[in-house]
Amino acid sequence: MYVYDSFDHAFVRDRNAEFADQVARRLSGELSEDQFKPLRLMNGLYLQLHAYMLRIAVPYGVLSSKQVRKLAHIARTYDRDFGHFTTRQNLQFNWIKLADTPKILEELAEVEMHALQTSGNCIRNTTTDQFAGAARDEHEDPRPWAELIRQWSSNHPEFTFLPRKFKIAITGADRDRAAVRVHDIGLHAKPEGFDLYVGGGLGRTPSLGHRIKTGLKGEQLLSYLEACLRVYNRYGRRDNSYKARIKILVAALGPDEYARQVEEEWESLDKAAIDAPAAEIVRIRSFFPDPDFKDAKFDRVAYERAQTADKAFARWVKNNTLAHKRDDHVSVTISLKPVGLPPGDASSAQMDVMADVAEQYAYSELRVSHEQNVILPHVPKADLYALYTRLDAANLSTANGGKITDMIACPGLDYCSLANARSIPLAQDISQRFADANLTDKIGDLQIKISGCINACGHHHVGHIGILGVDKQGIEFYQILLGGRADENAALGVITGKGLPAEAVPAAIERVVQLYLQLRTSDSERFIDAVERLGRNTFAEALHEPA
Amino acid sequence: MKLLTANRLTDGLTLWFSAAGWSEDAAQAARLDDDAAEALLTEWKARETEVVGAYLIPLSAADAPVQREHVREFVRANGPTIGQTADEIARLHGRADIFQEY
Repeated sequence: MYVYDSFDHAFVRDRNAEFADQVARRLSGELSEDQFKPLRLMNGLYLQLHAYMLRIAVPYGVLSSKQVRKLAHIARTYDRDFGHFTTRQNLQFNWIKLADTPKILEELAEVEMHALQTSGNCIRNTTTDQFAGAARDEHEDPRPWAELIRQWSSNHPEFTFLPRKFKIAITGADRDRAAVRVHDIGLHAKPEGFDLYVGGGLGRTPSLGHRIKTGLKGEQLLSYLEACLRVYNRYGRRDNSYKARIKILVAALGPDEYARQVEEEWESLDKAAIDAPAAEIVRIRSFFPDPDFKDAKFDRVAYERAQTADKAFARWVKNNTLAHKRDDHVSVTISLKPVGLPPGDASSAQMDVMADVAEQYAYSELRVSHEQNVILPHVPKADLYALYTRLDAANLSTANGGKITDMIACPGLDYCSLANARSIPLAQDISQRFADANLTDKIGDLQIKISGCINACGHHHVGHIGILGVDKQGIEFYQILLGGRADENAALGVITGKGLPAEAVPAAIERVVQLYLQLRTSDSERFIDAVERLGRNTFAEALHEPA
Repeated sequence: MKLLTANRLTDGLTLWFSAAGWSEDAAQAARLDDDAAEALLTEWKARETEVVGAYLIPLSAADAPVQREHVREFVRANGPTIGQTADEIARLHGRADIFQEY
């Protein structure tokens, strides 16, 4: 992974010193809350319903064992012993004290971490495929490009105060696991160069990104991004925060006109002054080598015997591992979605276990997925059963990767000051409704995504079943969407009928699932395939029939 | 009648204005008549080194609980409802005297 150089260390150290001074001046009263709020947000510190929340950046979701141990230490020392992994591949602590924040940031800096670009109207943390560098279907490792974007965007003087926040996602595999079509800019690396999508997003005005460029060479990536951002920065609406995202500008101009302006801007730029020199790209790539893969002898017979003897292990292998580019390795998903517990949460003890097993079995590499799970990208198959046993002892072996209980849920009204409705208790209810492992396996891949408000941090627009919490005259109701997906065939879900009260939602989903099981042509026809074949209305009726 | 609530500057915890000053316990929240509530709000909005984001929650009558349109306040008063399911939330309420049952 990337290792800080002296500039990175100095940059983070200076920012931390600056913020420590700002915190001291706020506590003394020298700064008012109005003056302080934008400063703390630029350092990832929010004031939520119950306490301050600190959002820690995990650039492109990549973590080392050492960093995860530090996060566990912070959870234990400064918070209530747990952290929450987010759909932006970051980590949030929900019970932080303002006065502790400078010390926490100092501790984070010791392991080359910070909370920059996790808030404010800047270019946020670039997200990517959690299986980058490992997946068999990958043809370009997106991490060096994500790191290049990080270095270009951090403290970029021109793009520190954009009309609104700006999110970039990048993938380099055939399958899009980074949801690039629903980001302000999505980059999909192809053999001939990047496809660049612009104007995607969720929130109040969901939109799929428009492809405005193909074959963009990596060596020209930064200047082209600069041109895209310049046009947005110049014409994006600053008069209305609801209309300030780039998707609104692209819709207003039309994708073709926006693309024309970008090309015109790009032509006018001094590209050589912006684009990274070839040697720098080589240098950054050098931080992302393959690990020193163990050539441990893989005993296939013993591996299969273990699965025969331990059905739970066999199920975990089937649901929570992904084909690796090497036959003797796999990528492992550690599900943070145990039945009945909050999606995405991990205790400090669990973080320590994940750090330890990564060190012992996975070359000390971990990733955060936007589905709020933790990934071990490189695990020798020979070590899989030993790894599973360790995870199982820490309640980290839930075998539901990609299944109906592997839900995305935002913090919702239990923590978030913007939310209109609770998300987590509803996720817990649904999870318990589908607690039967045989049933979830029978259902197969089905993504439920829950947001507690229209801002859509829970990605409800792109859930196969999306759930949006709304406030209806003081009562929480939930609108159900069907047919969304965030993959390479991205589609936005459509709202079906009127909202349901929380206690009615699990039964409504069960009716839809049962109908799907009746109507599917075979076990291999996934829920989303059946919805697309039969139409959403077929399933919407089941959602809203009387209980 | 109104309740006065805010977050403490140093740790952000939710506070309720009571007869004995600020309390972390919503059950201690003082029922303030409108004029007194407005005066206290003005006073505490200026005392930013102690609390932030002070605001008033209206009550429909002197002895009425906080109305059900304030589900947000129910959560603020009782803490995250995680660990309880929506069905349980529908049955349980921690502070019927202050916050109406959901």
